[in-house]
Amino acid sequence: MEKLSRLSTEDRENLSAYLDGELDDGGTQRIETLLVQSSVARNDVELLSKTYDLLDELPRPDAPKDFLEKTLATAKMEQVKHPISEQQWFITTQKMLILSGWTVALVVASAIGFMVTNQYVERPDDALIQELPLIQNLDRYEEVQSVEFLDLLTADEKLMEEMRKATSYEQK
Amino acid sequence: MVTSSVSTSPYLRDPDVQLMLRVKDGDDSAFAQIVERFQNRLIGIFTNMFADNALAEDLSQEVFLRIYRARQGYEPTAKLSTWIFQIANNLASNSRRSKGRKKEVQFKVSNSGSQPVQMGENNVVEKSGLMPTRQLDNVELMERVQVALLDLNERQRMAVLLHRFEGMSYADIGAAMELSPQAVKSLLSRARENLREILENYVT
Repeated sequence: MEKLSRLSTEDRENLSAYLDGELDDGGTQRIETLLVQSSVARNDVELLSKTYDLLDELPRPDAPKDFLEKTLATAKMEQVKHPISEQQWFITTQKMLILSGWTVALVVASAIGFMVTNQYVERPDDALIQELPLIQNLDRYEEVQSVEFLDLLTADEKLMEEMRKATSYEQK
Repeated sequence: MVTSSVSTSPYLRDPDVQLMLRVKDGDDSAFAQIVERFQNRLIGIFTNMFADNALAEDLSQEVFLRIYRARQGYEPTAKLSTWIFQIANNLASNSRRSKGRKKEVQFKVSNSGSQPVQMGENNVVEKSGLMPTRQLDNVELMERVQVALLDLNERQRMAVLLHRFEGMSYADIGAAMELSPQAVKSLLSRARENLREILENYVT
């Protein structure tokens, strides 16, 4: 521990990373300089390396011979146990389809409702809309006063001819 | 189905990713190949994580089952091994939370009778073929190393095992354990120092 206390935490981390080949060129160069200059660092690196190598003593057991067979059988069994209707992707898709269905139904119902309402239900404004051309020309109709007067005017061929000419002249 | 973003994934060169894409397409023989490739690696890690063979096998199997269950939604956004060890790490964390440290304490109290030691002993004998006195030394050393490993905190232990057993880079360990490479660097550095403190006397 006394030896360790003479190296900073960063140095110790870098020594470890140096052993693992995880330092960039600059970091590697700094550690190599440190190793040349410091016997503490050299001792440190050697001990770190040797104690880490002892991990090779750990057991590395092989899987039992029937492990593969059992795993495949369990996977297959799970597939049987969980039919497609119980699988998550299916449930999610099903929920989304139901939600989409309801949304479409709502939109269609709203459209039909609007059309029906628009077509068959009378509103107070409908009469006004229907009589709009009359309302727009109400002043003229009032000036005319009567239909008989209009008939007399249209019966006068010369007057009508003059009016047509005047209209076409105005249009030009 | 491989989407356009996935079709340009650099991970498509990973043969394990290719296997997993076949599993996604319904090829169960590819799944068997994945199990074969990773079973010993996972069991090795879990065994040394918990010092419990049966638990290691159960957890390893659960990793494969999770992979199989998730096959339909699989996208090659990382090396397959990274994904597998990410699942392993999550399972190990959950297992620790649910079971506590019972197994570890049991192992520490009774080294000679615990299952991993017996298994390790066979391993050493098979591999070395040395004389009995020397074999005993090796068994003792293995026990000390196991105890030293179990003395590390769980995250350090997982990081050490992924690094030493799997040869994973800091970046890959970070991806599997959801840590930054800098955090992995600190974690492994502290783990190394802890191991040194415990094992210094066993180094020649």
